[in-house]
Amino acid sequence: MTTLAPFALQTRLFFLRKLLETLRQPVWIITGLTTPVLYLALFSPLLRPLAGGPAFPPGHVLDVFVPGIMVLIAFGAGMGAGWPVIWELDSGVIERLRVTPASRLALLLGTVLRDIVMFAVPGVVVIAIGAAFGYHVHLGGLVLLFVLLALLTAACSATSSALGLNLKQIGSLAAVVTGVQLPLTLLAGILLPLSLGPTWLRVLGHFNPMYYAVQAARSLAAGTVTTGTVGLGFLVMAVIAALAVWWGTRAYQHAMA
Amino acid sequence: MSSPPMPAVRVAGLRKSFRVAGTTIEAVNGIDLTVAAGEIFGLLGPNGAGKTTTLRILTTLLPADAGDALVAGEDVRRAPERVRRQIGYVGQLGGADKDATGRENLMLAGRLYGLSAADARRRCAELIEVFDLDGLAGRSVRTYSGGQRRRLEVALGIMHRPRVLFLDEPTTGLDPQNRANLWEQLRLLRDGGTAIFLTTHYLDEADQLCDRIAIVDHGRVIALGRPDELKQRYSADTIVVTPEAGPELLDVVARELADAPFISGVVVEPGAGGHGTIRLTATDATRAMAEVFGALASRGVPTRAASVARPTLDDVFLRETGRSLRDAGSSAVGADAAEEVAA
Repeated sequence: MTTLAPFALQTRLFFLRKLLETLRQPVWIITGLTTPVLYLALFSPLLRPLAGGPAFPPGHVLDVFVPGIMVLIAFGAGMGAGWPVIWELDSGVIERLRVTPASRLALLLGTVLRDIVMFAVPGVVVIAIGAAFGYHVHLGGLVLLFVLLALLTAACSATSSALGLNLKQIGSLAAVVTGVQLPLTLLAGILLPLSLGPTWLRVLGHFNPMYYAVQAARSLAAGTVTTGTVGLGFLVMAVIAALAVWWGTRAYQHAMA
Repeated sequence: MSSPPMPAVRVAGLRKSFRVAGTTIEAVNGIDLTVAAGEIFGLLGPNGAGKTTTLRILTTLLPADAGDALVAGEDVRRAPERVRRQIGYVGQLGGADKDATGRENLMLAGRLYGLSAADARRRCAELIEVFDLDGLAGRSVRTYSGGQRRRLEVALGIMHRPRVLFLDEPTTGLDPQNRANLWEQLRLLRDGGTAIFLTTHYLDEADQLCDRIAIVDHGRVIALGRPDELKQRYSADTIVVTPEAGPELLDVVARELADAPFISGVVVEPGAGGHGTIRLTATDATRAMAEVFGALASRGVPTRAASVARPTLDDVFLRETGRSLRDAGSSAVGADAAEEVAA
């Protein structure tokens, strides 16, 4: 009987496979970097007149906006995972890997870790550019911010993989992902703070897990680490990441082309 | 102390049904079979006979509804993990990562099964040589021809030297030369002790490549054995002789021939130019042929043409199902098609 690669090695092998998949398609890397930079360049000027006004959080406009962009990058980096999964279903790659003794969790985590890299690299670039234009860096908070949003990326990535494995059709996946993107991002107060909206909108936001990520991210970016907002953000992200990873692993256990 | 060698595959009472559009399709309806180590075993049947479903159950991809399946001595239901370590699988879809290179595909497969990087590299070089993939291994699989890709996919399936190799319709879409090459590779693997379990809907593949076959239809095994044995058991040789004589004389000859124990049927048909044709079925074509020529020669009748048609596996299928394997499956809603929908 052949021996089996240990779990950590399997995860590393799947991670490297997925990383190569991305590196072979430089267009993803380019848009992954340009999109957040364009948000910074094109959207933050629109917010400038609001800064300092009533209901707008205090601080430089970029102090409010950069954490939002970071959440957006995490969401985008994770939600792309499902597309290649469908190609791999169609070409039999997943079927072949399912016949190997490899852990289904490792298979999922390979993609999740790649997506975390795909969040972290543009994230660092955005922080660097933002800092040059007035964003105040608080190093300790920033490190925790990356950890928090790595959890969000993991949740989105595992969800996207699970959706791809269950829906099996590019069209269906695209409909679901674009369908949830707008309500999730708007109700998280990513682009515009929810504090600008009426009560019912703010209440609705509390049902969106991403809202807690954005709130915690703003707090961390401002350097306030030990707040209830931050604790709640980590708790919500850890729970949804765990649920999504469980769902994605299950989807790999039963995946059929 | 020696014990009888463990069968590579042992299946008893295997069942699997799918519900499609309100109706239940019995894809696998009570299959029993055993595959020995070191043999090539084929599941032959029309599309939708349940071949792929059976293979998917044996490779742990799909749970069975009922029945027992042991692969390399391990239970596919209770110990799927232990089964997976000992089998290789080449699916219908292939499963090579098209954007990766052949070598990257092979290395990943080897490392997942626990080969060290050095061992995986060695094995990779060995298979690249055996499967004639030199000069391709560093290229993206997307650039491979159909035959090249199939060779890589088989190499992927045996990277870890499995005890049992499963292949689903391995030669579909291959040209005759690539087909013959693949057959040769599979025979070499068998000779090295690997049990090979494949599905096919090609009569000649079942006949020439497989040591033993199970002919399946509607999820059941309708015939099981060595191809030549099945043909002999279920069918007979057909001999057609055209002598230079009219049907009246041939009717006399026919009556005489019908008495021979190895001749099971004689028919005289009118032929061109007033000559008749004798068509007979025989369990022993050589002796029947001698008997016909003897009977004709004793009357001074010369023979213009004679031919022997050996039975084919299609005759076996025809006799068991009343349908030809060539036509079957195209009309019926197949179990495999149902699985595609249900899964």
